[in-house]
Amino acid sequence: MNKKTLLHKSLLVLSVIILFFLIGFGSFYSYWNSAPASKTCASCHEIENSVNILAQSTHRTLTCKECHGTALSNGLHSLNEKSMMVFNHAKNENTEDIRLNEPQMLEVMNNCTRCHKIEQSKWLSGGHSAKYKDIFLNEKHNKTEQLNFDCLRCHGMFADVDIDELVEPLDIKGPWKFKDSAVANNPTIPCLACHQIHNEGSPYKSPEYSNPQDIFYKRKHSVSNVSYYNRHDKTKIMAENLPTLKLWENERQVKVSDDILMRNCIQCHAPNGKHQAGTSDDRTPRGVHEGLSCMACHDVHSNDARQSCIKCHPAISHCKLDVKTMNTSFADPKSPNNIHWVACTNCHKDAKTLKK
Amino acid sequence: MNNQNKFSRRQFLQVTGVGVGGICLLANCGNSISIWRFFSNTEAKLMDAIADQIIPPDDWPGGSESGVTNFIDKQLVGPYVRFQQDYRKGLLAIHDSCNDIYNKQFEELDWNEQTAFLEKMEAGKMHGNIWSNGFDKTFFSLCRDHAMQAYYGSSRHGGNRNNKSYQMLELDYPLIIGQNRYKS
Repeated sequence: MNKKTLLHKSLLVLSVIILFFLIGFGSFYSYWNSAPASKTCASCHEIENSVNILAQSTHRTLTCKECHGTALSNGLHSLNEKSMMVFNHAKNENTEDIRLNEPQMLEVMNNCTRCHKIEQSKWLSGGHSAKYKDIFLNEKHNKTEQLNFDCLRCHGMFADVDIDELVEPLDIKGPWKFKDSAVANNPTIPCLACHQIHNEGSPYKSPEYSNPQDIFYKRKHSVSNVSYYNRHDKTKIMAENLPTLKLWENERQVKVSDDILMRNCIQCHAPNGKHQAGTSDDRTPRGVHEGLSCMACHDVHSNDARQSCIKCHPAISHCKLDVKTMNTSFADPKSPNNIHWVACTNCHKDAKTLKK
Repeated sequence: MNNQNKFSRRQFLQVTGVGVGGICLLANCGNSISIWRFFSNTEAKLMDAIADQIIPPDDWPGGSESGVTNFIDKQLVGPYVRFQQDYRKGLLAIHDSCNDIYNKQFEELDWNEQTAFLEKMEAGKMHGNIWSNGFDKTFFSLCRDHAMQAYYGSSRHGGNRNNKSYQMLELDYPLIIGQNRYKS
């Protein structure tokens, strides 16, 4: 057999092997992406629990790949990760408590917005859509208070690095820049900061009209998809398991709404360690609004409160004034009367005159 | 694509090798149905009963509901790997002793019988070779200590489900504390 024939035969054999490999791999990949999770992703013990919880969740009809992508949709990175999981499993190394890294979390977020477009557009219009560059390169803030590890508790809670690996220099002089400029446009408060997908819950459905207990207002209102991402533990805590704020106005205990959703808000919009009202970033309603939930006025995704007054107030208040035009920070951000804790006595200095 | 996603040829071959090997190994995983890492289902049931005796449920969850067994099971394949043999031996000893004394399993005993059994263990008054050298006392202490760690520790370690013990103690978890120290 001469060299040329040998080369031709080798090429032919190699082509056939490659063809079989491609057909085999393609078939396997197609099967993997279309088979139920119980036969694919849940084959891994480390992922099984997440799959089981998803089956009882609001998103129970979705397949894994609709949120997490396929093994190859994120290049070979995902394949590498899964392979290492299998490798560690075979070595009997415990690899539970699997967490998404920040790029994976952002990929999931992109998939959230495929369906939740309205929520996304509302979120984009509000303050919670701030990007890394808006928060960590803010000169006014950085000159007043030095960036520190705790910033990431509420802004950038999914960051894979600590603050010293994120921004430099860590001082109040600046100029500040990211160590990796690719993070500049990452959202600091993404969907998963406040939402948990792998959690028990039921999709919305029409009432069963033959059953009086199934009338809409008699159904149990579930907020199981609302949770707080605790960066310290890298765990999600369902809003109903978060603590309720105990707030003090000097010696007096302030009445705080028992709205479960509000527990999420106060994790970041929190008072100082002594829980004194109005300190740090506390915005708990007091004064005429004491006892109200944040959600009584703010939209959950956009945080917009511009149309909130009319929900409770008549057009004209007891003072014969339009509440929207009163001297409060609602009408003018520079007003000394913060809408969160404005009281009658802010304007009516002699409270007795109110009764006359 | 960022640098993390760039692969050298060597890495590609490694991934392919590990992946193919892994897929072959997956076939061996299909039969496993236990949700436990170290305990058998029988041991976990017994551990749940012991946990409820150490931390009885009242208005708040008891030891089993709060995940004491899950905590111990998780730690036994991690930092507490050195206690594996103690648990294997101790749980078997409880099982055998209960069969000898009551002709029942521990979890089938009524509440007061369970309490009396564990009090005897705590006092070091168990009989039989398996309890020799004060193992009864030692194993009870071990279970009690680990149950307390599970119940009052961070839920990230596998116990204190939904941070219920912190709610019971009226501790804020996570801590509610703001950081905005200046006013704009």
